[in-house]
Amino acid sequence: MSGISWHYVLKFIITGDAGVGKSSLLVRLTDQRFLANPDPTLGVEFGSKLITIPEENKVVKLQCWDTAGTESFRSITRSYYRGAAGCLLVYDVTSRQSFVNARSWLADVRQHADPHLTCILVGNKADLASGDAPAVTLPSDTFGRQVSTEEAELWAKEEGLLFVEASAKSGQGVQEAFEVACRDILRKVREGVFEDDRSPGVKLSKPLANGVDLNQQSKSTQCCGT
Amino acid sequence: MDFFSQTYTALRGPTGAQQTPEETIARLADRLSPDSQLPDRRAAVLALKGLARKHKVLVGERCLGGLSRIIREDAILDPEIARAALEAVTTLIDSSDTHSDQREAASTNVELVLKDASFVHSIFTLLKDEDFYVRYAACSLLSALLASHPQTVQAAFLTAPDGPARVVSLLEDSRDLLAREALHMLTMLIRKSSEIQKVLAFDGVFEKLFGIVTREGGLEAGQYAEEALQAVDILLRFNASNQSYFLETQLPSTLCTLLYFNPRVVPDEAVPQEFALQFWNHNKAQAASHVLDIIGILLTAKGPALREGYAYTRLLIELAFASNAPTTLKTQCLRHLPADATPMLPEMVVTPYMPVPETNGEEWDKLEVATALDALIELIMHGEYNGLDAEKRSKVGMDLRATAVDVFENFVRDSSVKEAIVAGMLPPASAGPSARSPVTPLLFGLLTPPKPPPERVLIVGFQFAAIIFAHLLRHTPNCKALARQILPPSPVATNEVAGGAFFVPADGRPPPAAPEPIPEDDDDEAQTLLQILAEHLSLAFLLRSRDTWSTHDSREWDRWIIMHLCLLSQWLWEDPKAVRMFLEAGGMGVLVEQVNQHSETDVVITGLCAFLLGICYEFNREPGEITRATMHPILNRLGPSTLAGRLTRLREDERMKIVQPGYWVLPCPTPRSLTLGFMSRYEEETEIWFDWSFVDFWKSVNQTVIRGLMQDPDAPPSSSGTSQSGESVLVASLRDALSKQALEIDDLKRRLKEVTASQTTVRCAVARELEEVQAELATEKTKRAEVEKEQEDLLVLLDELSDKRKRDKQKMREAGWEVSEDEEDGDEEDEE
Ligand SMILES: Nc1nc2c(ncn2[C@@H]2O[C@H](COP(=O)(O)OP(=O)(O)O)[C@@H](O)[C@H]2O)c(=O)[nH]1
Ligand SMILES: [Mg+2]
Repeated sequence: MSGISWHYVLKFIITGDAGVGKSSLLVRLTDQRFLANPDPTLGVEFGSKLITIPEENKVVKLQCWDTAGTESFRSITRSYYRGAAGCLLVYDVTSRQSFVNARSWLADVRQHADPHLTCILVGNKADLASGDAPAVTLPSDTFGRQVSTEEAELWAKEEGLLFVEASAKSGQGVQEAFEVACRDILRKVREGVFEDDRSPGVKLSKPLANGVDLNQQSKSTQCCGT
Repeated sequence: MDFFSQTYTALRGPTGAQQTPEETIARLADRLSPDSQLPDRRAAVLALKGLARKHKVLVGERCLGGLSRIIREDAILDPEIARAALEAVTTLIDSSDTHSDQREAASTNVELVLKDASFVHSIFTLLKDEDFYVRYAACSLLSALLASHPQTVQAAFLTAPDGPARVVSLLEDSRDLLAREALHMLTMLIRKSSEIQKVLAFDGVFEKLFGIVTREGGLEAGQYAEEALQAVDILLRFNASNQSYFLETQLPSTLCTLLYFNPRVVPDEAVPQEFALQFWNHNKAQAASHVLDIIGILLTAKGPALREGYAYTRLLIELAFASNAPTTLKTQCLRHLPADATPMLPEMVVTPYMPVPETNGEEWDKLEVATALDALIELIMHGEYNGLDAEKRSKVGMDLRATAVDVFENFVRDSSVKEAIVAGMLPPASAGPSARSPVTPLLFGLLTPPKPPPERVLIVGFQFAAIIFAHLLRHTPNCKALARQILPPSPVATNEVAGGAFFVPADGRPPPAAPEPIPEDDDDEAQTLLQILAEHLSLAFLLRSRDTWSTHDSREWDRWIIMHLCLLSQWLWEDPKAVRMFLEAGGMGVLVEQVNQHSETDVVITGLCAFLLGICYEFNREPGEITRATMHPILNRLGPSTLAGRLTRLREDERMKIVQPGYWVLPCPTPRSLTLGFMSRYEEETEIWFDWSFVDFWKSVNQTVIRGLMQDPDAPPSSSGTSQSGESVLVASLRDALSKQALEIDDLKRRLKEVTASQTTVRCAVARELEEVQAELATEKTKRAEVEKEQEDLLVLLDELSDKRKRDKQKMREAGWEVSEDEEDGDEEDEE
């Protein structure tokens, strides 16, 4: 048990329409659980997780805020964009509307976030659309897929977004979504995109300040090789 | 000043004729329009600012629109006009005026400006203005608006572009004055809005708030630090997301360091004196109290999984038992001590301190180390600093002891722990038949003999001893069985209770001779604790009956007797062997005599005597001299309905009626009606009559006791198994009670809202009120739970009674008897 075991703290936010599975994704990430009937009043809208990126030889601490409750209050969501390093823009693969609305969420992101914010488009509830995805979307079918992988992928490419399909229920793609985004941010850090700690959402972990830690330093060995 | 004269001259016109205020204000209002030149507008605003206080109505009516436009449009261009306009509006909505029409005007004005969310947005924008005075004026105006219409401003804040970041950055404004105003505003902004709390946390508000505290020099900084910590409390209290985030930061350990406590303390490490002995004043105590509350929130939210869990628990225990912290803080520590931390108590070693007499709290003696459990029991039995001020029965001191009882109750929640403690009070088995019980502090307290004149300190000590002993025995047959075998050395030394030794040695030193001979020849045969208690009770009645006592002393005897009766009732309930022992020690005669007495004595005492008598009758199931058959005619002579009446009257007595969970240290005197003609000895004096656990016990068994009194001697025991029958009734009543409870809670929530909404200016008042209502909600909830329980019992009883009655009637009818209704006589209502 020692002080710092990560190199960066990255602030993430999750946005998208109500009901697409934002809270579920966060719970899946931090607790490896899925709640079929999440209690919306529970309000656990923050979670964190350590993620290792082996090829960068780095450990990052991911701090993730679910912007729940603000779906109808977009302007407050904007306050989150400004301070974030990464954003999961979520839609529901079984809801065409949520995909359409993703465009306006993205417009908001573009307008308010740091230009270097890493944004990943996440098509959630992939478990409901497993098997062969129909090329044609079926608007009236509430249970089946309404947004094809190709269409979403194409749009993501046009907009310069990362993309992944995921399922908070099965866990498929969830960790990956966060990892892909982290990698992208670390790449930007490496390439010097954020000079002087410019992105408000990226923080280098500093040695613990003040004398609190005196005992610590004499007793324990450094845990993460410098 | 130039502006004023220029403006006025301009307005007065060449003739110099006097204008009415109406005319002046009308002209100024015209000049606010964007059509006039900026300097003219500025001059007009400055003039209006001066007129606003006196002419709230007029200026409000004519100029508010113009001023609001200026704040939205001109303010970013010209700091001078911005500041003046903000200040003018602040004056226009100021409701602290003495004249009611001015106040009315203020409230009309507020509503007017708040109609437009973009107005509030522009004030948030001005929080980042380059000009200090503009930032300050914007911040003050927001405070004023929040004080009167929090929800509206909060809603506007949520849609204000960049609002959170602006508010947060104000907290580190280099101008202290502004940072303070910002903190004041923030405290109102975050109330009851988890969304705002969350987004501010995202923007780093926690770090800034702790920045204030450390920058100011920690808890010693006084009110400013206190306010910052209070904001932290609000941000965390009902906000699970923020709690999770907060725990991610380094701040949880800062809570420890603020109190000079090492957050990484390990079990065998001693706590430094700079923690144990600190300089305390009122402000620091207030600030520290917030720190403790925040620790409490985190411990409750995250339990043992908390990274700082051990440090927090240790801090609470150390501060409570081994420090010079103010008494109220110690109480708070014990309140926040998690129930699952109590197993640590016997293992943890603390070093208590005592103030050196006449050094005014500047010098302290270090006492012998003790386990935290010993320190806890010592605290309960004697009070803080070994009973230094126990004589005063001050509210803070008694509250501390009562809270310590709660900790003890948590500690003995597991019946094996209870058994171990009671077993430790028996004579050592290995020491042969003449062995006697070791005199533990608890036993010592229980053995306090009644001795005239009544001593305040000893009596409270006995009360607490009886209360914790009752915790060990109540509904715990194994402990009762063990307790019957407690055989104290006789007679026990009593001359050392109040002072001297910190702990009475557990190995039982040879007791000195009794200070007063006990009027009974029992030298050859050792008495059990139960026999001694029975004897003390009768002795106390005897002493009480002398008519020379002052009101004060009589009340002390009453207190003493009542606590004996409480303890005995809880012990004898469901314990026929103990009943036998009590009856053979002459208990019945004492009780009957008291019940038989008429008005003279306290209704509570006669009620409790009837109660104990009922318990004796009900559980007199062991063969012996005094049987149920011998008791029955005596009870009949007393009259079952008289007895029931006495028991019912008990319920009405204020001393019992106002006791609630967590509230049994009562103001002195209770009942309040005594206040006329009764002077308590000390200011803020309190007193105890019953603890909640007894009242709870009494409520749950009273009906059974009343019922038992009506039974024939050969009737079987009726108490056990009552709860099995009528389960559906129980479930239904439970549901009913729950839904009622939900409604009540909703109602309380609504009231909570109303109360806070109605608070206008003084934010302290808002805070206090909110706290009160929350506390009310909590006690209300617990009260509900109680009512619910009682209701269950009643329903079960009712059900059972009517069943039995039906059966009996049926039998009687079958036997061809005429069915009479006589059996209902007395206590139970009939619905048929
Ligand atoms: N089948 C399936 N259901 C999901 C998935 N993610 C979320 N849900 C369900 O979708 C509903 C809305 O999820 P929630 O996380 O509350 O969405 P939010 O409003 O965006 O936070 C809930 O009933 C979830 O159980 C998923 O991956 N698969
Ligand atoms: Mg949600």
